[in-house]
Amino acid sequence: MLSRLFNPDSVAVIGASRKKGKVGNAVLSNLVKDFRGNIYPVNPGEEKIEDLTCYASILDVADDVDLAVVVVPAKVVPPMLEECGRAGVKYVVVISAGFKEAGVEGAKLERRSLEICKEYGIHMVGPNCLGIMDPVAGLNASFAASMAYEGNIAMMSQSGAICTSTLDWAEANGMGFSKFVSLGNKADLGENEFLTEFRDDPSTSVIAAYLEGIKNGAQFIEFARDVSRKKPVVLVKSGRTAAGSRAVSSHTGTLAGSDQAYNAAFDKAGVIRADTLEDMLDYIRAFSTQPIPAGRRIAILTNAGGLGILTADACYYEGLELASLSTETIEGLRKFLPGAASFYNPVDVLGDASAKLYGDALEIVLKDPNVDGVILLTSPQAMTDVASIAKVVIQKMENSDKPVLCSFVGGTRIMEGNSILVAGGVPNYTFPERAVASMGALCDYGKRRNMVYPLPKPVHSDRKTASELLDEAAAKDKKILGLESFDLLKAYGIPVVEIGKASTVEEAVEESERIGYPVVMKVLSPDISHKTDVGGIRLSLMNKDDVRRAYHTMMSDVGRYMPSARITGVQLQRMIEGGREVIIGMNRDVQFGPLLMFGLGGTYVEILKDVSFRLAPLNEKDAHSMISSIRSYPLLTGVRGEKAYDVDAVADVLVRVSRLVEDFPQVLEFEINPLMVLPEDEGCFAMDMRLTLKESN
Amino acid sequence: MASILVSSSENYSGKSSICSGLGLILKERGKSVGYMKPVGNLLVDVDGVLSDEDAEQMRDLLSLETPRSCITPIMLTENLTNDALLGVEKHLDETLKQAYSEVSRDKDMVIIEGEGGIGSGAMYNLSDPQVASILDSKILLITRFDSVSAVDRILCDIELIDDRNMLSGIILNEVEEDKSGIVRDMVVPFLEKKGVKVFGVIPRDHTLGAVSIAEIVEDLRGDVLTGRQEMDKLVEHYLVGAMEINSAIKYFRRSPNNVVVTGGDRADIQMAAIEAGARALILTGNLRPSEAVLGSADEAGVVVVLVRGDTLSTIERMENLIGHARIQQKTKIETIVRLIEENVDVDSILDSAGL
Repeated sequence: MLSRLFNPDSVAVIGASRKKGKVGNAVLSNLVKDFRGNIYPVNPGEEKIEDLTCYASILDVADDVDLAVVVVPAKVVPPMLEECGRAGVKYVVVISAGFKEAGVEGAKLERRSLEICKEYGIHMVGPNCLGIMDPVAGLNASFAASMAYEGNIAMMSQSGAICTSTLDWAEANGMGFSKFVSLGNKADLGENEFLTEFRDDPSTSVIAAYLEGIKNGAQFIEFARDVSRKKPVVLVKSGRTAAGSRAVSSHTGTLAGSDQAYNAAFDKAGVIRADTLEDMLDYIRAFSTQPIPAGRRIAILTNAGGLGILTADACYYEGLELASLSTETIEGLRKFLPGAASFYNPVDVLGDASAKLYGDALEIVLKDPNVDGVILLTSPQAMTDVASIAKVVIQKMENSDKPVLCSFVGGTRIMEGNSILVAGGVPNYTFPERAVASMGALCDYGKRRNMVYPLPKPVHSDRKTASELLDEAAAKDKKILGLESFDLLKAYGIPVVEIGKASTVEEAVEESERIGYPVVMKVLSPDISHKTDVGGIRLSLMNKDDVRRAYHTMMSDVGRYMPSARITGVQLQRMIEGGREVIIGMNRDVQFGPLLMFGLGGTYVEILKDVSFRLAPLNEKDAHSMISSIRSYPLLTGVRGEKAYDVDAVADVLVRVSRLVEDFPQVLEFEINPLMVLPEDEGCFAMDMRLTLKESN
Repeated sequence: MASILVSSSENYSGKSSICSGLGLILKERGKSVGYMKPVGNLLVDVDGVLSDEDAEQMRDLLSLETPRSCITPIMLTENLTNDALLGVEKHLDETLKQAYSEVSRDKDMVIIEGEGGIGSGAMYNLSDPQVASILDSKILLITRFDSVSAVDRILCDIELIDDRNMLSGIILNEVEEDKSGIVRDMVVPFLEKKGVKVFGVIPRDHTLGAVSIAEIVEDLRGDVLTGRQEMDKLVEHYLVGAMEINSAIKYFRRSPNNVVVTGGDRADIQMAAIEAGARALILTGNLRPSEAVLGSADEAGVVVVLVRGDTLSTIERMENLIGHARIQQKTKIETIVRLIEENVDVDSILDSAGL
């Protein structure tokens, strides 16, 4: 869809300038340097710039213009876009600042600009951006200091300054790009459009992105998942902490969103999240040059024992396995390595190893069917010929379909070797841990690429009843539903504990007799969320007298602790013993919709924070992985001879909750707390619930 | 001459609302209505004449031509209280009677609004029962039913009325939905058994406590940074944005159409409020928000107001403003009339007042 944006036949620069130091001059001279098509400077005050005829308006250009780069002050951007529209231009890059980032007037200009684009069917990059580059097509429509090297990385960034830094870093590290986009304010084109564009771009093999927010979360997941099947997407999303998200809001006028939701979204989309800019650059270096490993079994090849051990530790933390080398490999190594060498993983070729020895060892290890990838370490010891080792690594790699990442650890003495590796397309990392992390990213992608996402099985539910229940609550202007709404759970096939409701003490006794002792009594109030804190729960009531006393003391306690609470009565439940309490929750994320939470229940849940998150819709596999990914999962599978609990029943409830909250977007928050899980095959029961409804207008 | 004095147990029980509503209903029924607030306690300067805010509103609402000095013949000034304490005889009962004869001229019915609580004005012999006795009016007592203790209050208030025949009856106001059962099944029968006529039970309506953003801006003396065209919108609650961002989003969106008070430097909270559908942002500490946030607020039609005060003092003012709103907007008056028509036995009130 955007191919003409990156590969136009002709480009106009609206606001071109002859004055050095002006953006309008930088953009024009960047274009002149590399672009092979026609260039039309537009500026009513000039006749010629850089030997090119200057036009007073884009409407004066007789030929068709594919792309217009706009660098005029913000307030004249809308009329310029209007002229572009009338001239039939379909792609514009608006570099000018002074839009939404600059306040109310700017926001109006941005809206107006977008309207004009929509009216004429123009696709717009920016505003407030550095521009775009396509080194393959020779297009540098930016005011960056120089053109990027040609390569296979497509990069987009919401920050212009990160573009500049990345370009400079890449130049120093011999890294090249297929496409480079500064997204700016993302008024029209954003990450989702470029993801799709890069997916279909034959010169791109890895996609990198720096983002501060995502415009359309659901679409992002859909697109990124699709793209990730074809090529890796590595991204940094900043604004993860309270301080960071405040800075994002202040900088872009958007909500940074919850980091848990972003993590869940990236997981769902198969995207590789880099924690830092450095991580991202490390990873894309590996992705742009190395094949994807088939598994996580890594061999370490080193001339220094200490580096080998550090790397082995790092592999463990990264979740990589140290490969068990095959007998053939070990025997093969024994033939030429000195007796003091280590033939097991990490393979230590010893400090005096020659380049030939390194090369032979690498060749044998790469051939081992138990090895999925190699991390090659070198310390510049007295006898070490770093440059020759670098050359031999490049040579051996050519015949292999497994990734090799190097870490030549040192300073001046490894410089030459580093340059040779970089030129030969082998990533070299200053320290082993960085090589390990990058190998981890390659392995993660290997797994994600082949991930299947089965659709959730349909849930049999009585949607009509649930809908009526919620409508009724909305009609009464009720915003918080509690225990009294168990019918909602029942409608979705979620098992609930036997309950009764009472608004007087005698009704409470009656209901308790019906349910059967022991019973639990809980206060019913839309204003009370933590019942324990206000004395709103009484356990183990064994007879009528217990129930009466509990009722009177509860009313008195609640009245004292929360005099303003509206109390509608009490609920009585059959007390269930011998189970484990878990929590299932949902919070509707601003960008990504329902974010489900699972954790172990009880009083300590808020302190331990041992919870897992997934975005709806959940299939059974997601539900099981959600349950098993909490740290205290062993408590559910049975510790020290305990019985296992009915995890399948919990997974089923998770899937049903996911369906429920997807069916009713008016549900903002939802929680079953606790869900009592009984031993295997005995099921689970919701003991309490709380649901927040959106105000209906 | 029919007349009724609308009294209440406490301030902010809804006296003014009920006076307005009754007045309009009577007018609609073709009656000529007079209004009087004997002691003005909400003093305002109207073109150099001291008047009472309630009185001014009623004057407008019922298009009264009676002179201000008759509608509110006595002003609650320092002179009044000092003289009362010093025992200076001012013959206020005479002043009152004269004004009343003016107010009631050619009228079918006069509505008299009490000063504050039922006992207010006792120091200068003008508590509500004393005024009623001077003017020979019946008393209609309005009580906010916040809990069962309102019953204590009602019985106690009635003790203040010497001649029980002077009590026309009561209205229970602002009854929360969860209490309506108890009120209907137990409280009303109890009071009736005690010989107290209950004319109506009016449910709480949250829209009545709402204030317009313009009123807030005026009260806080704030600077409007954007969204000026949205200032007529009403807000029912204010929320304070002092928590971490994820809790803030949850908290704000539970009740949209609100005003959020937060610091000018809390861009995350500001964006959460805009996202959650807040109507206005009050930014404290005179800290200007980021331009990008202003741009987003403008797009979303959210009013952004900058105030000098810190968050705490701003909240205190807001507390005073919201819920104690004076009834001015047309929509609110319509709501009041509807609530009275639906829940109050107006005919019986008029009967007991002698109309």
